[in-house]
Amino acid sequence: MSERPTESPSVWEVAASHFDRWRAGDGSALDDLVRLLSPMLWQVVRASGLDHSTAEDVVQTTWLALVRSGDSITEPRAVAGWLCTSARRESWRVAKQSGRQLPAEDEAIARRLPDEPPPEGQVVLDDDNARLWACVLRLPERCQRLLRIVAAEARPDYSAIATELDMPIGSIGPTRGRCLEKLRHELVQTGEF
Amino acid sequence: MAANSPNEPDDATLLAAIGRLWQQLDPPPVGLADGVLARIAAEDLEYELLTLVDGEGALAGVRHAAAEEPEDPGAWLLEYEGRDLRVYVRLTRIEERTRLDGWVVPARPVLAQLRLEGSDEPMQSEVDEFGRFEFSSVQPGAHRLTFTDIPRGSTRPMITPPFWI
Repeated sequence: MSERPTESPSVWEVAASHFDRWRAGDGSALDDLVRLLSPMLWQVVRASGLDHSTAEDVVQTTWLALVRSGDSITEPRAVAGWLCTSARRESWRVAKQSGRQLPAEDEAIARRLPDEPPPEGQVVLDDDNARLWACVLRLPERCQRLLRIVAAEARPDYSAIATELDMPIGSIGPTRGRCLEKLRHELVQTGEF
Repeated sequence: MAANSPNEPDDATLLAAIGRLWQQLDPPPVGLADGVLARIAAEDLEYELLTLVDGEGALAGVRHAAAEEPEDPGAWLLEYEGRDLRVYVRLTRIEERTRLDGWVVPARPVLAQLRLEGSDEPMQSEVDEFGRFEFSSVQPGAHRLTFTDIPRGSTRPMITPPFWI
């Protein structure tokens, strides 16, 4: 297992503490939780190929599901993962209803990412991101899309959570691994790392 | 996991960098969190929402009689699921009227109420010892069923999404 930077406290831990406060009856804790994790859910949902307004709706639906069934989450540190998984499933359900294909595995996921071109023209990237983006753009399109999905759900303390909850999320499948290897190759070629 | 030379970023580092890249490429709308909070506030959270168990690929939420069991247009079944309760609802067309009966599983003392959307007065039926409830004649329209523990306990009452009769 590779070394991970210790972020203290991690997003998951902060989320867990908000979630605990909310369940203890602190109403403002839900606001904190929503503000903390909605940007991540946005990435998860957008990565699965939904347009702006549908994506916003799915993020809202995901939170409603948490509010309604939050009692069923017994491990507070699982709340971020629970939200990501719910958001991804809801995205796929909505995408399926609107006639898009339903993905299953890596390969299938990679085929169904946004049809629209990435909005790189609309934003000014900082230097690091601009260099990375240039390398990402040299990858096969399928890899670009797949890595976006995987990155959207990347979890800072994945290993701890996976061990505790016996969840294989975040594991690097062979396709993702190959895409990452290609990206690493591009970065080394350009001397970025 | 591939062994990387010391200068090459590992998978987690790369994925984190890609995550940051997309945060910059595709930032969430400014009002995203506020929209979520407004939506939560607008929801009726007095109730736990029961979900329609979707066995046949029908759209969640509403099922119409005609589409349910083509071979038996006189009766159809809806199944809802909550955290610790499952509800089976049977609708039977008898000439001009519709009878609604059903079961809660596991059986427990709850009050079943059937509310026609837009009407204030719900019909009531106390669930019997076998978990059974019944409304012998139901008006056409969109209805929701609620289930409240007797005596009203610490759990929230449960409510189905609207369904059409």
